[in-house]
Amino acid sequence: MSLAQLAQPLDALRRNEVDPVSLPARVATLVVAFLAVVAGVLWVVFDIIGPQPQTENYTAYAKDGQVNVTLMTTAQTTVTNRPDWVSYFIQNPSTKQFDHTTYFAVPANTTVNVTILGYDGCTPLRNPLWGQVSGTVGDVENVQYFNGKTLSAAQNLSTFDSWANCSVQHTFAIPGLGLNVPIASPTTLNENSNLCGTSPCNVDAADEAAPHTVVKFTFKTPSTPGAYRWQCFVPCGLGYVDGNGGPMGTPGYMMGQMEVQA
Amino acid sequence: MAAQASGLPAWQGDRRDKLVLPIVWVVLSIIGCLLVTLVWGPHMPPGRASSTAASQSTDITVLATIATPVIIGVLLYFGWALAFWRQKPGDETDAAPLHGNVKVQATWIVATSAIVLSLAVYGTIELIAPAGAGAGQGPQPIFKNGIPPTTSATSWSPNSNNVLQVQVIGQQWAWTFRYPQFGGFETTQLALPVNQPVQFNVTSLDVIHSFWAYTLGVKADANPGVNNVAYTTPTTLGQFQVRCAELCGIWHGAMFDTGEVLTDSSFMAWTQTESVKLASVTKLLPPYALTYDPTNLNLGKVNAALGLTGAGGGFYNPADPEQP
Repeated sequence: MSLAQLAQPLDALRRNEVDPVSLPARVATLVVAFLAVVAGVLWVVFDIIGPQPQTENYTAYAKDGQVNVTLMTTAQTTVTNRPDWVSYFIQNPSTKQFDHTTYFAVPANTTVNVTILGYDGCTPLRNPLWGQVSGTVGDVENVQYFNGKTLSAAQNLSTFDSWANCSVQHTFAIPGLGLNVPIASPTTLNENSNLCGTSPCNVDAADEAAPHTVVKFTFKTPSTPGAYRWQCFVPCGLGYVDGNGGPMGTPGYMMGQMEVQA
Repeated sequence: MAAQASGLPAWQGDRRDKLVLPIVWVVLSIIGCLLVTLVWGPHMPPGRASSTAASQSTDITVLATIATPVIIGVLLYFGWALAFWRQKPGDETDAAPLHGNVKVQATWIVATSAIVLSLAVYGTIELIAPAGAGAGQGPQPIFKNGIPPTTSATSWSPNSNNVLQVQVIGQQWAWTFRYPQFGGFETTQLALPVNQPVQFNVTSLDVIHSFWAYTLGVKADANPGVNNVAYTTPTTLGQFQVRCAELCGIWHGAMFDTGEVLTDSSFMAWTQTESVKLASVTKLLPPYALTYDPTNLNLGKVNAALGLTGAGGGFYNPADPEQP
C-alpha cells in the first residue's frame, strides 16, 4: 500500500466525510462515564463516610422542662465488625435497650440529666485540662464507683488527675456549649483487668458485676434549635496515629451529635 | 495595518491608536485607581481590628491599585482590537509582518521591572514594619519591629514594655489557650487586651492545625513539637473568630472559637477570674513549655502497671524530628 493510499482515510477525516465514532457510541460512552462518576460519589458517601447512626429521640420524653438521657461506654464494640474499638452506646428511651449510636435529640431550653455508665478502663488524658468538669450545673459531676461487689456512695467531683491516678476513661464534651465532663473510671488494677467483655454491657445480668462507674451531671440546652457535635478528648483510638483515628473519628463510636429540637 | 483594517485613512487610524487609546487608558486608570483606593479600599479584608489586619488591608489596597491600570490596559486593548482591528468581511489579505521595536521593548522591560522590584521592596518593608504581618514565623521570628521584648515570662501588666505571651494549642478538635504570665492557666477562651502587643506561641499536641484569627490578620500553622510565633496588636474592642485553616480530621469544620478583645482593666479582671476558676486543673498541667509535652507528667502506679506509658494513643515526642 502506498503512502498516498494510507493517507486517504486521514484526508476523508479532515473533510468531515467520515465520522470516527458513531453517535450511539459517543452517547453510550458519555452515559457510562456519567454513571461511573455517580457511582464513585455514592461509594464515597455510603462506604467511606458511612451511614449516619440512628438518632435516639428523647424530645417526647421530656417532662416539666427536664429530660433524662443515659449513655454507656464500653471497652469494645462486639456488636459491630470493629470489635476492638471503644465506643459509646445510648439507651433507647422507649425500649430501654442500649443501641450502638452516638446521636441523640433533646428539646431546646430544657434541663438534661445525663447518666453515663462507664464500663471502660482508665487512660491518661493527653491534655490534662480536660480533667476539669465545666459547663454542667455547678461545674461538677456526681460519681459512684462499682468495684464488682459494692456501689460506693455518690460524691460530687470537679477535677480529675488522670496521670497520677487511674481515674478517667473518656470525656463527654460538647465544645459548642463549653461542656466537658471527664468520665470517671474504675480505679484499681484488678478492676481494670476485669472489665465487661461484651457490648453493650448487660447492666441487668451477666455483666452486672463488672467494675464500672455511674457518672451523673446536668446541663441546660440552648433556647434555639441546632446541632451540636460532641466528642471524647481522650485519644483512645489505639493503633491509629496520635490515637485520634478509628473510633475517635467515626460517628457512632467516640463522637456524635446532639440535636436540639424546638 | 490596524488603521487600514478599520477602513480609515492611515493618518486617522494612527491618531486613534497612538493618541486616543493611551488617553482613554490613562483616564480610565485614574478613575479606576480612585475607585479602588477610596471606595473599595476601606472595605478590603481582613479589616482593621489589629495592627496586622490594618497592614494587610493596606497592602491589598496598594496591590489592587497598582494592578488596576494593568487590568484596564489589558481589557481596553482587547476591546479596542475587537472594535477597530478586526478583519472585514471578504478581506483575506494577510496582516503586516511584525518587526522589533526597541522603544516598545525597552519600555515594557523597564516598566514591568520597576513595578515588580518596587513591589518586592514594598513587600519586604511590609513584613518588617508590622512584625511579620501576622504570619507564623517559626520558633525564632526575625520580624519583631514594634514588639517589645519579653522582660518577664511570669508576669505582665498593661503598657509595661513586656509583650503578652499567649500559647495557642491545637488539638482534635478544639483550641485551648495558655497564659504563662498569669500562673500558666489554660482555658478554652481567648481574651486579649486592646492596644497591647501580643505574641502567639502556636503549637499542637496531635496533628497539624492552623491557627487563623481572620479579623486580627493572624495565621500560623500549629505543628506538634514546634513553636510557631506570630505577633499582633489588637486595636478594636469586640469579638473575633478563630478557625482552623488546616484540614485536620472529620470535625475540622467545627474547630472554631470566638475570642474577644477587652479593655486593659477587663482583661486583667478576666485573668484573675480564670486563674481562680482553673486553679485546681492548672496544677495538673505540664510545666509551661513552648511545645506541649504531656510526657513530662508523672504517671501513677496503676497507669504504669496497666502499661499506659504515655497519653492515650501515643504522643508525638518533641525529641522526634520536627514535622514540616
